[in-house]
Amino acid sequence: MIRPISTRTAAAALLVATVTATACSQRSDDTIVVGLGADVTTFEPGMISSRDNANIARHIFGSLFSLTDDGQHVPDLAHTLVISEDGTGYVYTLREGLTCHDGEPLTAEDVAYTFNRTEDPANRFTGNAPGFVFTSIGFQGAEALDDLRVQINIARRNPIAFGLITEIYVHCKDSYEAMSLDEAASNPIGSGPYRLASWTRGLEVVLEKVRDPGNFQRIVWRIIPEASTRTAELLAGNVDIITNVVPEQIETINGSGRAEVQIVPGTRRMYVGFNLSEESRQMPGGDAIQDPRVRRALQYAVDVPTICRQLLSFECERATGPVNPPNDHPGLTPYPYDPPTAERLLDEAGWTRESGGTRFAIRLQAGRGRYVNDVNVILAIVQYLEDVGLDVDLELMEWSSVYTPLLRERSMGPLFFLGTGGGLWSPIYDMTDLADVDSGTNYTHWDDNRWFSRWPELVETETPEEARPIIDEMLQVFYDDGPWLHLYFQPDFYGVSNRIDWVARHDERVHLFDAGLK
Amino acid sequence: MGSYILRRLLQSVVVIIGVTLVTFLALHAGGDPTYLFVSERASFEEIEATRRALGFDRPLHEQYLSYVGDLVRGDFGQSLSYRQPAMDIVLEALPATMELALFSMLIAIVVAIPLGVLSAIHRGTAWDGSITTFAMFGQSIPNFWMGIMMILFFGLYLRWFPISGHVPFITPLLDGDIGTAFANLPRTILHLILPGIAIGTYSLARNTRLIRSSLLEVLEQDYVRTARSKGLSERRVLVHHALRNAWLPVVTIIGLEFGFLLGGVVVVETVFSYPGIGRLLFAAINQRDIPLVQAGVTLLAGVFILLNLVVDLVYVRLDPRMKLAEAGG
Amino acid sequence: MSDRPVGAITVTGLEDATASSETSLRRAVRIMVAARWPIVAVLFLVATAIAAAFGPVLAPFDPNRQNLVLRLADPMASGPDGSVFWLGSDALGRDVLSRLLYGARVSLLVGFAAIAVGGTMGILAGLLSGYFGGWVDDLIMRLGDIQLAFPFILLAILFLVVLGSGVWNLILVLGVGQWVTYARIVRADTLSLREKEFVEAARALGDTTPSIIFRTILPNILAPLTVIASFNVASVILSEAALSFLGLGVPPSVPTWGSMLAESRDTLVANKWWLAVFPGVAIMLTVLSFNILGDWLRDFLDPRLRERT
Repeated sequence: MIRPISTRTAAAALLVATVTATACSQRSDDTIVVGLGADVTTFEPGMISSRDNANIARHIFGSLFSLTDDGQHVPDLAHTLVISEDGTGYVYTLREGLTCHDGEPLTAEDVAYTFNRTEDPANRFTGNAPGFVFTSIGFQGAEALDDLRVQINIARRNPIAFGLITEIYVHCKDSYEAMSLDEAASNPIGSGPYRLASWTRGLEVVLEKVRDPGNFQRIVWRIIPEASTRTAELLAGNVDIITNVVPEQIETINGSGRAEVQIVPGTRRMYVGFNLSEESRQMPGGDAIQDPRVRRALQYAVDVPTICRQLLSFECERATGPVNPPNDHPGLTPYPYDPPTAERLLDEAGWTRESGGTRFAIRLQAGRGRYVNDVNVILAIVQYLEDVGLDVDLELMEWSSVYTPLLRERSMGPLFFLGTGGGLWSPIYDMTDLADVDSGTNYTHWDDNRWFSRWPELVETETPEEARPIIDEMLQVFYDDGPWLHLYFQPDFYGVSNRIDWVARHDERVHLFDAGLK
Repeated sequence: MGSYILRRLLQSVVVIIGVTLVTFLALHAGGDPTYLFVSERASFEEIEATRRALGFDRPLHEQYLSYVGDLVRGDFGQSLSYRQPAMDIVLEALPATMELALFSMLIAIVVAIPLGVLSAIHRGTAWDGSITTFAMFGQSIPNFWMGIMMILFFGLYLRWFPISGHVPFITPLLDGDIGTAFANLPRTILHLILPGIAIGTYSLARNTRLIRSSLLEVLEQDYVRTARSKGLSERRVLVHHALRNAWLPVVTIIGLEFGFLLGGVVVVETVFSYPGIGRLLFAAINQRDIPLVQAGVTLLAGVFILLNLVVDLVYVRLDPRMKLAEAGG
Repeated sequence: MSDRPVGAITVTGLEDATASSETSLRRAVRIMVAARWPIVAVLFLVATAIAAAFGPVLAPFDPNRQNLVLRLADPMASGPDGSVFWLGSDALGRDVLSRLLYGARVSLLVGFAAIAVGGTMGILAGLLSGYFGGWVDDLIMRLGDIQLAFPFILLAILFLVVLGSGVWNLILVLGVGQWVTYARIVRADTLSLREKEFVEAARALGDTTPSIIFRTILPNILAPLTVIASFNVASVILSEAALSFLGLGVPPSVPTWGSMLAESRDTLVANKWWLAVFPGVAIMLTVLSFNILGDWLRDFLDPRLRERT
């Protein structure tokens, strides 16, 4: 007969180990821990593109200037900027005595190197900087004028170039020339307040403070993909800030007495796009939405405030266009939820209900797992559209390799669900997606001349006051006959421990320089 | 013996080539990885240029042949999303997963033996009833659900175990840093307990039932009856005769068990934010990071094949009835 | 690669099981009655099958009808227009009871269909492999090795990511995931039957090869496979749940128990227990029933354990 004593002994030993190990895992006051949902893949400045990855990188690399979330300019590595008469030469003057993390002095030559290296096609970088910033500003090159002055040349006057240039991560020439691209991807030598102390893929990134600003000696970014696990870690006190709190868990966190959820109105514009292309016309419902009356009818069919309140735990005002408030058109009222009006407009447009109650079938495509509660939001929209007589064929797709290629080729179905990043610092920035009928970000193939013919005028304006009337006229057209079924500006949810004093920004950026203990 | 091993190794090479081919074709059949490597707003020309630069515009067989050519030289290529040698990244994640898989295997086997034995020798009693019931439940709970419930109960409510994360043991050990490795060990184990149980419970339950029924079967055999009739104590009969033979079906499944446990790893690593190979490969498949998937799958297949080879050899030793000549196949 | 017997099932008493169907049937019932639990299991499965068949009649609501204002309602809470959410409502205000009833359909369909796919493939492969031997055997067994060398879930993920998710793709992938187990057992049995006298006799009488394989050998190896099949239903249901968790299960408009459980993960911490408990219990009882049934089948087919039960 075997007695189960051995298992009992083992259990006891385990318990002892538990107690001792828990005792030594206490956190100190000079460390702040952040729980992120998405993994970090690289610290190569030219390769960084995802938001979480960029948030960490922002602490490692300085930039010439930075922007607050409402568009205020804040000097960083540079203290002054002079823009040439024709708007194509940006001359920045650096602060004195700057160094990179390996001790190398940081001069104008290094800044010029940063820009040119990031742009260099031989490096095949595909991050946000070469892929978006440089193409948007028409980057022509950078050169050092002297030790402290660097000039960035762009193709043409551009009202948003200043903001875009703040997204470039400055690094030093000698240290990066000494490393292979492989080495640089995991050993960033930055110019920001923190340096990379350790990185365990899939687990955590640890940063150590090297200079001001910053109240914490160490920042630990932990990768916690599962939302419930992130919340549990926050409630257990092992993590100070978590991103992307699931709306369903807000009440639990707020009721715990240990942490609070900060809900910040974000700038990401969520909408259902109408794809008006010839290709989409061949798909179910593609011809119906060509008629602006049908598009307008569908605006009345969806109850956006209820979606916000119920699925996002957030009171929202429905969007009226692509521009974030307060830069939006002040005279426009959001479309109300009014199914009878929707039905009447659809009848008038000739799409009456058939015997089965259906007006027409239409395909709706969406990626999954990208936005807050996206699957539920999409399902709710489908229900609303079906309520007014549409027969919606929903295709939910894997985001990165199935939906994204469709977006890039602008070949989604007649309806598609999307959220695109916006900003508060310029209405034009938010409108740039549709700067040109054939632009890669005009996913809808909308070609209304009342919108697109105004762009040359708009970019030539020199002051916001001058631009405003043009913008408002364009936004009116977008509201009336535009290619978006307007939804909301996606709120962001941060769970913040009660021991931490930190206010979340509106632009999805997590900056911890001002964070402190209460 | 030598030729048997050689033959098995040759078969393994065939299997591994098959594994890479299947992975390669599957990943190329749907989705275009190019889009991972251009920014959100890249122009059409940029996308084309990137596709050419990455070689995705070449015919499939050409891509596969050049891939296999590199493979033979031990080059698994660069991970597309990490821009690092794919094998390095996979090898970095392997130790954590091995710790988890071995720990859950330990639970699944070491705990199953006393439970199965108890249940068999007390057949029909309350012991048997509760162990069998436990085993039945253990086989019907999805591992992710059990994981989240354990996090909430043992991690958050009772605070007995850490909620998520990992403390390395094998990695410092391989680096020769034995001091750190053993200093880490208690915390390593502590971090393994909840995910280990989440992965191991299904197998534990299955093994318990397996051991119970195979022991019951052995206890009916003639030689056990003979031993009993010779007046040997029940304990002696059990340890020297019955258990020895009841072992066989357990050894049989150990090799396959490992593959099965690795299956649980993808889900459980996600729940416990455990930095292992399962999560890495799941993300890589979603992103069509072909070199990384290839390196990971090949490595896992290699480990699996090696383990099965070892198990087969052990089996041959344990079971005198099984001759090597018959063990080929 | 290896000829170790696979899994828990050792095949014994083949001839015995098929010797006389009359006495077998009586013995089956006797074992079942003696053990009691198999009866409960069968009753439960019959009830589930009825729920699956008559779900649309029994369900109080359209399982996909949302009601955002009444989302996450407690069990027994009142629904729209004087109705009741007997088992509560989910994150979109859909009725949990209705989804559970409809879910029985899809979950059982996926379970049985996957096993039909895997079983058919495996039996065919095993028969060919065992009967012909040689390169056919080598090829089939190597294919099996390749598949087993992949952890199953990775293979499933790989193919679902590529094919896209959907009920039929899911069935295909889960089915293909099973074939090797069946093939190996069938192969081993076929190998031993091939040399048996009655097979030799059929051959001597001039029966064609297909006839020998399907008429003479196949009927003699089917019985033990039912044991494996009943255990497999359980693992297929669990795999479906795991794939739903990873976002690769059925489309969100199709309720299954696994996907309902996967959807409940975010609300567990918020104490919305009904979203997890009801589909969880449904899965558990079904899996339990199939396991009990499998045990009973094995006891029934294995003469050496016969006397004890």
